[in-house]
Amino acid sequence: MRLLGRIFDWFDERYELTPLIEKNVTHKQVPRTLGWSACFGGLAFLTFLVQVFTGMLLLMYYKPHPSAAWDSVTFIKSNVPMGWLVQRIHTVGANTMIVLVFMHFARVAYYKIFRKPRELHWISGVVLMLITTIMAFTGYLLPWTQLSYWGAKVGTEIPGAVPWIGEGIRNWVRRGPAISGETLGFFFSLHIWILPAVAVAFMLMHFMMIRRTGISRPL
Amino acid sequence: MSETTHDPAPTHDRDGRRTFCKLCIGGLSVASAATVAYPVASFLGMPITVGANKPVAVPLSSLAPGQAHYAEFQGQQIVILSDEEGQRVFSASCPHLGCNVMWSPADALFHCPCHGAVFNSHGQVVSGPVSASLKKVPFEVKNGVIIVS
Ligand code: HEM
Ligand code: FES
Repeated sequence: MRLLGRIFDWFDERYELTPLIEKNVTHKQVPRTLGWSACFGGLAFLTFLVQVFTGMLLLMYYKPHPSAAWDSVTFIKSNVPMGWLVQRIHTVGANTMIVLVFMHFARVAYYKIFRKPRELHWISGVVLMLITTIMAFTGYLLPWTQLSYWGAKVGTEIPGAVPWIGEGIRNWVRRGPAISGETLGFFFSLHIWILPAVAVAFMLMHFMMIRRTGISRPL
Repeated sequence: MSETTHDPAPTHDRDGRRTFCKLCIGGLSVASAATVAYPVASFLGMPITVGANKPVAVPLSSLAPGQAHYAEFQGQQIVILSDEEGQRVFSASCPHLGCNVMWSPADALFHCPCHGAVFNSHGQVVSGPVSASLKKVPFEVKNGVIIVS
């Protein structure tokens, strides 16, 4: 304990951590009328961090190729120590995150916290909700099971219903007329890099603006 | 800390409570950290690749005719079949998408529970979304014991 304290002091002297911690954690004031529902955004963010971390672990063994994807996931679940746990947390976490984002959304909508000056919180939030859904959708294809395959097939059929350009969009998303190895590669890149990076950018925007306006004060 | 007359508790007593709370919070934090660190550390360890390289040995006398015997070999399920035509050993993994096929003694066929592939007692496809046969696993019979190694 003493030792930990001294290590902390050493860094504190150089980075001046104490004022930061006091301002943002120990002395931070929030309206006392705030209810539990104000936690959903933070919980969604926590789940996102869990997804990023377990996703990094899964990437050590996952192989994004039609002939190897399913085997590599089975390998994680049965041969990698605790692999079943990490894989399961990532799957359950994806569903949890969607639920939490929707609860958060429901709270913000119910209390009408999208009014001036918070319009951009709402807009960046809608983008985050879309990204969350697409991350879940693209991740679903990766284990390359029957469910994944048909899920991706049906899901990519939806933009196909748009008149005139629908088929073009569908084929663009599929990287060809059918679900193939190309689709898997595309979904993989979206799932592990592109969407998380874009999500982080929008989260920064979301959080910085919430810091600026402060959390809304319920009556 | 400034003392007030409303708080007659002696200082050492409150220090005791403070230490107690600190210990509880510290203990819980360490316990939570360990529940995360243990699986993560295990995950970073070596995967079980050839963990079960030991041979499977099943005495013929323990195999009822027309019944299947399942065993684990090199981390995979294998199925040993014994009937009038002799003994055969297959990988239980369906050549379609890898579910474990089930032997059904009633119709003497293997049924895959996942997408309904059916194989006969020689592992050849009868029906289903697949054209490959069940993979044969080499074995030998020594002194009335089937050995897969
Ligand atoms: C990845 C998804 C999201 C994350 C991680 C996230 C995170 C957060 C966090 C941590 C807060 C601060 C406290 C609170 O929870 O109220 C917040 C506030 C807010 N969020 Fe989100 N959010 C997400 C999606 C959304 C969505 C879908 C909307 C609505 C369309 C939205 C609109 C807002 C608004 C308006 C606030 C301000 C709330 C207030 O001032 O009381 N967010 N968000
Ligand atoms: S896995 Fe056996 S039929 Fe599909």
